[in-house]
Amino acid sequence: MIEHAGHLPGLSRETLRWRKVSHSAWGESATIALPELDEAQAAALCAHVRSNARARLKRMDTARIVAAIDAAIARLLDRAHPLRRKAEYLLPIVTGYDRETVRLGLTGYLKTFRRPQLLRFLAEDFANPAVLDGFQPTPKGGYLRAHGPELLLHVWAGNVPALSLWSLICGLLVKAGSIGKLASAEPLTAGWFASLITEIDPELGECLAIVWWKGGEAAAEPVFLREANTVMAYAGNDTLEALRAKLPITTRFLPHGHKIGFGVIAREALDSRKAPALARLAAHDVARYEQQGCYSPQMLFVERGGRVSPAEFARYVARELGALAHRHPRRALSQGEATSIVAWRGAQEIRALDGGTELFGEPSDTWSIVHVDAAEDLSPTGLNRTLKLVSVESLDDVPALVAPHRSFLQTAGVAAAPERLFRLAEGLGAVGVTRIAPLGRMTAPEAGWHHDGRFSLLDLVTLTEVEQSAEAAAEGFAPYVD
Amino acid sequence: MTQAEIIEALLAFIALPDASEAEFEAMALKVFAYQFRNNEPYKRFALQRGRTPLSVRRWRDIPAVPITAFKDLTLSCSPPEAAERVFMTSGTTQGIRGRSYHPTLAVWSRSMLVNFRKRFMRGRERIRMGILFPDETELPNSSLAHYLGLARRECGTPDSEVFIGTAGLDFDRLLPTLAQAEASGEPYALLGASYSFVPLMDALAASGRRFSLPEGSLILDTGGFKGQSRELGPDEFYDGLAAAFGVPRSSCINMYGMTELSSQLYDDGNAACPSVKSGPHWIRSRVIDPLTGADLPEGQRGVIVHHDLAHFNCVSAILTEDAGEIVPGGFKLFGRVDGEASKGCSVAVAEFLAAARG
Repeated sequence: MIEHAGHLPGLSRETLRWRKVSHSAWGESATIALPELDEAQAAALCAHVRSNARARLKRMDTARIVAAIDAAIARLLDRAHPLRRKAEYLLPIVTGYDRETVRLGLTGYLKTFRRPQLLRFLAEDFANPAVLDGFQPTPKGGYLRAHGPELLLHVWAGNVPALSLWSLICGLLVKAGSIGKLASAEPLTAGWFASLITEIDPELGECLAIVWWKGGEAAAEPVFLREANTVMAYAGNDTLEALRAKLPITTRFLPHGHKIGFGVIAREALDSRKAPALARLAAHDVARYEQQGCYSPQMLFVERGGRVSPAEFARYVARELGALAHRHPRRALSQGEATSIVAWRGAQEIRALDGGTELFGEPSDTWSIVHVDAAEDLSPTGLNRTLKLVSVESLDDVPALVAPHRSFLQTAGVAAAPERLFRLAEGLGAVGVTRIAPLGRMTAPEAGWHHDGRFSLLDLVTLTEVEQSAEAAAEGFAPYVD
Repeated sequence: MTQAEIIEALLAFIALPDASEAEFEAMALKVFAYQFRNNEPYKRFALQRGRTPLSVRRWRDIPAVPITAFKDLTLSCSPPEAAERVFMTSGTTQGIRGRSYHPTLAVWSRSMLVNFRKRFMRGRERIRMGILFPDETELPNSSLAHYLGLARRECGTPDSEVFIGTAGLDFDRLLPTLAQAEASGEPYALLGASYSFVPLMDALAASGRRFSLPEGSLILDTGGFKGQSRELGPDEFYDGLAAAFGVPRSSCINMYGMTELSSQLYDDGNAACPSVKSGPHWIRSRVIDPLTGADLPEGQRGVIVHHDLAHFNCVSAILTEDAGEIVPGGFKLFGRVDGEASKGCSVAVAEFLAAARG
């Protein structure tokens, strides 16, 4: 079977070139056809989305958009819906994650975009979300109105299923005509979502397009980069830098670089009752999406002095990862990924020769943990269920250990008593951490999350102010003026 | 065995015309026992893997250390400060260089020469050489500089020359020398790092100059491009050499060596790429699945492990970072298996290190 990716209003499938890519995993295979647009098609698509956004989307009430998204998400949450079934069937083949990981992950994630949560997104960024629909009075006097860009380009990365929905939905909420560039590693969900939106509200469906091109190579790329008013991009820093260099200076660029996540566990969380449960949650964060997410933990800092020592806690986590390996088998790895693991593990093994380092798991296991008995700086692991656990004297040491890598920091999973949670959050925030989550929830950010410490919606809009004095001056020209 | 005994045994082993699997195995186990007893970090590594001279019965079970270990550990069976020579890797990750300690260069040099005569000289006693790599006085810690120095001394004619100095490639001397070699009718050999050939080919192409070196001329390149020149694909590279110097691709030989070994591996020319590489009878190569460490069958791609008995003072069994597959007569090399940047939005080690280096 061939699944056509993308959503291309105004273009007919027959006139496009399609690049077929085969994926296989779990003994099944699928062929995905990715659209390859030429310059003229790209230009036509940009014009179509822009003019529809201008003529239709900009005039819609936010409530209508919220309703359409809510309805589309409801269908994707319905396990009997054909698209949901297709997603559950195809995403494991394309991304390699096991069926249960995909199923559970989809449900948990999609729940972030139902109506109440969408209202949360709006409320997080706008004191009065009605500014998206019309001028609203402001406290200082005068009136304020927010406009999303006419053409917002999303450049997605990563194989975490459905990750693209986050920015796509944010774009819709601010009434941006949206064009999304699919990631080769997960080229499906965004197109399916767009087709559902089209089914529910055809006018809205004309205001978004989902495309694909090979980064840096395609004829269509310059067109999209030139036409977009705002570009939201997810990629490694090198790719982002190259992308930024290609954009006109007047284009707003919102980059999200790759990140490294870590956990912090306080001694009060380490007794024989709490530690095993925590270990399970930590293992869950590690195994879910194979540490491919920016929020996935690669290292755990564990405080000494609890009833359960860091070394014992490492054993708990090892046991949980072992158990998870059965329930949620690791996806098949490319040679490069396998090499990353082996190189990381080899380096840990060499270090272990000098003592103070303990390695858990056999090389042939689908997970590895190393426990280092002396505090050390944050560093990435080999990914795909490789974790480093580091003993620290005190939680207060942790900010300094992660501080050198400020530009890579984002999510910290923390298990600590309230007072210490806030003290730690102060320290971590000061060195660049932007999200504190409990263990077990690191890979599932809340609705309205300020991704990388930025505004999901507010960063996308421009504000138009009618100054108080302008309103007063206008009075002078009214037909009813005395 | 004492150091003197192991050296003597190895020199005798290298002197054999060939070695059977059983003979290689017997020698490999002796070398392993020697390294296990005298190289403390390697002993700990082997114990961690549950391997000792008592439990290891096959050469394939001798634990191979990851090549990065040469950066982190002092792997030497004799006091490192007493080494006659220390070879260091050029590649630096965070400023740390891998080191191989040699209490004597007797075994290294014997291994190099016997193998070089067989694979490169092909029965010829001497050939006039042009060397495109700095010499040993300039790079005393470079195993390649030592290799090329030895090649020139033992197998080069007296008018052989080095054409790279502190100022870089000396075109003013090299081009007339090549022209003279072309006119002389005597075979000529150009040897050097792969990346040294690139600016030379570029300069010749820019001036429209081509050489047609006499029949029997040879080219030896090694080491790849290492960011020192632009990267060329193998076909582009060997086509370029053949065009620039008139040396057919079948006479362009690639040497595959590393600081962490004492022997080299060669192909028999690069008429077709990737060529098949093989070593002398005192080195054996395996291809393994990096995750399980298991040997892969012929034709399946994995990571290369070398067991080089001549590297007796350090560790003979090393796990490289090179991808390859076993084929009849040797193995095919596919270059470095790079740790892949993650497919997701996590930071992977490579990106992190790049950022740390600034």
